[in-house]
Amino acid sequence: MSGNRLQGACKTHRTSALAQFNSWLTLRRLSLCLSVPVLCAALLLAARAGFGQANPAAVADPHPGAEQVWTPQLNAAERCTACHPGVAPPSAARPSIQQPGRVDPLVPHHTKDWGCTVCHRGQGAAAEKEQAHQPELAPAQPLLPTRYLQASCGICHRADLPDTPDLNRGRLLLGEFRCVGCHRLEGIERPAMLGPDLTDIGNKVSAEWIYKWLKEPRTIIDDSGNTAVNGYQMEPRMPQFRLNEEELRNLTAYLSSLRGKPVEPYAFDPKVVAALENSPDLVDQGEARFRQMFCTTCHSLAVTRGGETKLIGGDIGPEMTKVGSKTNPAWLAAWLRNPQAFLPKSKMPRYEWSDQDLYVVTRYISAKLTDPDLLQGVPKLDAATPEQIRLGRRVFLKKGCGSCHAVPGAKLQEDFGPNLVSLGAESISHLHFGDAKIPRSLTAYLQAKIGDPLSVNPTADMPQYRFNSADLDAITTALLSMTGAPGSGGMERLIVPRTPAEFHPAGAFAQVYERYQCDACHQFNGYGGTLATDLSYEGSRAQRQWLIDFLKNPQTLRPSLILRMPQFNMTGQEAAIVADFIGRNLRSPAVNPAGVDPAQFTPQMAALGKQLYEVKYQCQACHSIGAGGGYVGPELSNVGNWMTAAWIAAWLKDPQALLPGGIEPRRALTEDEIKALTAYLVSLRQSEPAGRAAAAAGVGQ
Amino acid sequence: MRKHFAFVALALCLGAGFSAYRGGAAAQADPRQKAYATEPDWNDPQRLIPLNYQQARGKRLFYQYCVWCHADATPAGPSNRANLNPVPPLLNDGAALNGKSDEFLLEITTLGGSAMGKSAMMPPYGRTLTREEIQALIAFARAIAQPPYQPPAPR
Repeated sequence: MSGNRLQGACKTHRTSALAQFNSWLTLRRLSLCLSVPVLCAALLLAARAGFGQANPAAVADPHPGAEQVWTPQLNAAERCTACHPGVAPPSAARPSIQQPGRVDPLVPHHTKDWGCTVCHRGQGAAAEKEQAHQPELAPAQPLLPTRYLQASCGICHRADLPDTPDLNRGRLLLGEFRCVGCHRLEGIERPAMLGPDLTDIGNKVSAEWIYKWLKEPRTIIDDSGNTAVNGYQMEPRMPQFRLNEEELRNLTAYLSSLRGKPVEPYAFDPKVVAALENSPDLVDQGEARFRQMFCTTCHSLAVTRGGETKLIGGDIGPEMTKVGSKTNPAWLAAWLRNPQAFLPKSKMPRYEWSDQDLYVVTRYISAKLTDPDLLQGVPKLDAATPEQIRLGRRVFLKKGCGSCHAVPGAKLQEDFGPNLVSLGAESISHLHFGDAKIPRSLTAYLQAKIGDPLSVNPTADMPQYRFNSADLDAITTALLSMTGAPGSGGMERLIVPRTPAEFHPAGAFAQVYERYQCDACHQFNGYGGTLATDLSYEGSRAQRQWLIDFLKNPQTLRPSLILRMPQFNMTGQEAAIVADFIGRNLRSPAVNPAGVDPAQFTPQMAALGKQLYEVKYQCQACHSIGAGGGYVGPELSNVGNWMTAAWIAAWLKDPQALLPGGIEPRRALTEDEIKALTAYLVSLRQSEPAGRAAAAAGVGQ
Repeated sequence: MRKHFAFVALALCLGAGFSAYRGGAAAQADPRQKAYATEPDWNDPQRLIPLNYQQARGKRLFYQYCVWCHADATPAGPSNRANLNPVPPLLNDGAALNGKSDEFLLEITTLGGSAMGKSAMMPPYGRTLTREEIQALIAFARAIAQPPYQPPAPR
């Protein structure tokens, strides 16, 4: 055993006894015996050696000796490297040696420390290719198909990794589509609101609309059955429950009987109503305000151009193309004034409405965002009978609707579906394949079950989702990563837990923050949405007066973005509270405000900076100043009023220090070049900052 | 002896027929089966191009850093390509990129356009991305190239 060596916690055995046999064929047959007593091995060797010599096809083995990797900490001994010699040392360090199945030795875990099967699954102890990859004797653990491989990262890494986009998306979808409503899932955060509270649903929508929604929640479908929004498919979070006609009618009867408290119609100022009521452009005014306030940052509307239907807008709130045919104007006005009065956990901001704006916007929604054919096909629904209501409530509980929706007199139905925390390690003998004509494997089962629950179980209660194939793969990947509590073999030490990010502002700022739901779009120290700018260091970047002006009247900063900050009609006082909190608390240690003194900048430095900007570095490729330039980075016409000189200098030095993963590359600028560019950029000021006069008046109030 | 020969011929025919059958099945196989990830052909979105690990890594980096100027559609909507003069090549533009060596693409991405006698609008990424990351980007470009990229024959 001269090749025996210790490497950290593991050993690589080179079985020298076998090295003398130069027939690779013989070796493969013999390697089965590696783990059985030596006597048995010796007998077999003697019996088969003659066969090997007689075989004219036998060629010289380029890798004499069977490689075996033993990782005691994972309780695994495996021989993958016998056929895949390229992935193990020393050949991995030599690119000239061909590496079967691998082009890139970049995966951070080395074979000698981890072996292969901990991530790739399969039977590492097997000696035949088929038995190692798709074993008939141990079908529970076949090789994991490559496209789900990121699942294995997630077994230990409970937080998202930058190099596992499929796993990250799968985890996101499991939360977004409320799978956690019915199933227990490892590491998936339960959203603050699973589904709307239905206590008052009878006041909000008609029985016919409820019937239509229960039957088919999708209302925007193109010829192919899909609607794309900004390149991805958008589905309502509510899945289809395949209710029969009787169940539909009974459940509709039950839900429309839920009328907790009647909506108090908002009393508009009669003068405003009188002035607008008969105005011919009432609806147009409403549409203009709807667009100016950027409702479409969170809500999407279907647009058909050239025969192609697309949803334009965001997906934080529901799609709204036909919402006017759903809700009545009185409910809409009450909701818009105070969404949290209806749904305390709603992400909808509480806008500051003038009577005029509220009136024209509700009129626009009720008049234009409608579809007279929406309720086509819905049968005439008679008044609900007590018997229907009773049966409808039974359907509600039987289908598990109470997992996501609150109704009076019923607790939230927790753990309605099976517990899935160890689904990724489930033995296929525990899965019901029914009559499905699919391979008997866990991955095939998951794809079939999520794609169409009835395909494996005709009586399944699980509703129908419609994921595209990429999302289906992502969800499968995330589920495969949930292999339950770590078993023996010391795996529990290897878990890298996820530390949930939190941000708890206090005081006056907290009230404004909650009112406008800043965290729906913005990140604060890793907490919050990813739609808009990360504000963790905003206090080092933005000047106070600019922040106040911006909050009161948000302008376009990045020309390439379709989604913009909504106009909340924030008061000057609120804007000042936010600007003060940001300036005091959200600062980067990498930016020293005293380190750069704008007073030292001379016109000569600015002139040099302009030349560097335009000629040497050609920043206009991505940034625009006035009319010319690119769309990638922020517009810089007013950057002298917007950003602090210290931030600009720090950013030019190392953008990724201030924004990890930011796309502006770090350049090799000299100190003098940084000074010159900063001097030029701070000199870029628009003479009349937009909204300054109004802002000054607002702050004075 | 002749009988033996006929038997061998029959076996060969059967073997050829079987491997043809297997080959046909492999050609129709789902490209996702063996691939780590896929990218739709930019000229034919129905056709999925299988990507290996390195190419898939390049794809992720491309859609973070490069898509803004080297594609006609970006995650944010419009592309910056039309704003630039000279117009940067699309990443799948085989006519423009297949003739460039891996070494050239590595250098221009690392050092920027001006260092290689091209437009200074291409910034240097050598201090932001690692050499392996830039190699992954090149591998992705090669994978999606139309017309397809043929690596030079080893010398």
